Amino acid sequence: MTSELANQPTLRPTAQIAKHPIHPMLVPIPIVCFIGALVTDIAYAVTAEMMYADFSAWFLLVGIVFGVLAAIAGLADFLGNRLIRQQTPAWPHLGGNLVVLVLAFFNNLVHTRDAWTSVMPTGLILSIVTVLILPVTGWLGWEMVYRHRVGVA
Amino acid sequence: MSKSYSRPHSLLLRSALIGSSLLCLAGCNDGSGDPKAQLGSNPVLPDQHEYLLPPMHIARVVGWRKDETPSVAQGLKIRAFATGLQHPRSLYTLPNGDVLVVESKAPKAATVKRPKEFVMKWIESWATSGGDTGTSNRITLLRDSKGNGVPDMHSVFLDHLNSPFGVVLVGNDLYVANTDAIVRYPYHEGDTKITEPGTTLTPLPGGPIDHHWTKSLTASPDGNLLYVGVGSNSNITENGMEAEHNRAAILEVDRTTGRFRIFASGLRNPNGLTFEPQSKALWAVVNERDELGPDLVPDYMTSVKDGAFYGWPYSYYGQHVDPRVKPQRDDLVAKAIPPDYALSSHVAPLGLVFNTGTSLPKSYAGGAFVGEHGSWNRQVLNGYKVIFVPFSDGKPSGIPQDVVTGFLDGNGHARGRPVGLALDKSGALLIADDVGNTVWRVTSGNQQVTQRQ
Repeated sequence: MTSELANQPTLRPTAQIAKHPIHPMLVPIPIVCFIGALVTDIAYAVTAEMMYADFSAWFLLVGIVFGVLAAIAGLADFLGNRLIRQQTPAWPHLGGNLVVLVLAFFNNLVHTRDAWTSVMPTGLILSIVTVLILPVTGWLGWEMVYRHRVGVA
Repeated sequence: MSKSYSRPHSLLLRSALIGSSLLCLAGCNDGSGDPKAQLGSNPVLPDQHEYLLPPMHIARVVGWRKDETPSVAQGLKIRAFATGLQHPRSLYTLPNGDVLVVESKAPKAATVKRPKEFVMKWIESWATSGGDTGTSNRITLLRDSKGNGVPDMHSVFLDHLNSPFGVVLVGNDLYVANTDAIVRYPYHEGDTKITEPGTTLTPLPGGPIDHHWTKSLTASPDGNLLYVGVGSNSNITENGMEAEHNRAAILEVDRTTGRFRIFASGLRNPNGLTFEPQSKALWAVVNERDELGPDLVPDYMTSVKDGAFYGWPYSYYGQHVDPRVKPQRDDLVAKAIPPDYALSSHVAPLGLVFNTGTSLPKSYAGGAFVGEHGSWNRQVLNGYKVIFVPFSDGKPSGIPQDVVTGFLDGNGHARGRPVGLALDKSGALLIADDVGNTVWRVTSGNQQVTQRQ
């Protein structure tokens, strides 16, 4: 497969189903979950209503699970195709999203604490930082698709 | 204080801490201090410490091999009074000497509110992994008519109960505290089985969450009032304050009408309710909050004063505020009183009995035996034994002594765990061992010596 790709200068992703790349299908899930966790963290900080903190913990867990799946698909594309690896935005996109997942993991542990300190202040700060990184890595990701046409048939 | 209680400040340090606690779930040092510094009326209270992963270590259950017994202090001896029980949690001796063994299982858990509960359930399963012990939730009567510590009769006294714990007899009325109600049954001396349906005296805070579910029960010395311990519905309000209605409190129940009032509050999980024989004051052992460090917060025993507030959830040992509770209540923190006598952290005291008998050695006269179920929230195990606290003039008068140990084997595995205590008619100490599925009987060692001479 590698030799075949080397002969064809194509930015075909490795992880795909019927020529539909998997990575962009999965990434919206963690993005929405981490934004959701920030929203429910803010709601908890304002109301001290435990329901919101519970929501945050679920958002973070689901976000991490699908984030890891998206990362596996993304890594397969990254490692499986030298041409994708050569795209300038690929490296910071990978690094930034790795930071997002690590932060979300620690944030989920903070959210296992009981009541107020499961969110305030560390949990809320981690949620804010996580969400602030997302538009940057998202920008880099879409740049690879729309400008460099990674995964575009 | 030789131990230092350091608080990691940086995320990096915290991550290192997670790494280490993941690597040594079974016995590294988490900075646990000496439990001896936390005994008595003035315990050392280190700085609070919040974790990404709190220290967790539960003794894995291995059970008792044939002829294995706990160890006892000098001058005492121990043997099994009954074995093969179904998770015995508390004990009650009837006036004719019959012993009621309350066999009880936790009520059905509520729906999971957040991912953490999956992990906590898994950890709790280690503590009760003594195999399937049957349906439980019944009371077994044991009759030792020869008084030799070998029951000659074994009868299912009451069956199909709802996670029962406390039992008390007043006249011919036998009260059983199920997790959701106090139920009254008619009892006549010598009965070995109750078939009549019970009458509910009053419902108690039960499910659907029912986090601390054991309802300890006792009667006032004149028999007019009942006192029932109702534990909190969370570690520290993480199920919402609305779930804590009439909880973390001792309720005083009118025995004729069932009407109740809150007698004392702020007691996170009060058990072992019993009246101190000399002062006639109500005493309880209380399980304090978790996840603030291996040495916070010390569990305690205390006389329970009418109308008093003991801090939970807002504070502990007086005005030590818990940052996990929002909104805080400065007015309640201000009126919180410290308990009488700390038992050190995470020992999980669940049984309390005053030694009103005369058959145990004189040094045990008048003091309190405390059954400590054992810790999970610190690396160095604490509790897992029965201790004795000497009393004089109705107050604790010295440091605790270990009375029954050896519930842990040399590898730190649990052969059993002590819960409820009672004295039998002869004055021997009975211990319910809920993972060993045994009732142990502790007697004076001298008797045997005399017989041999």
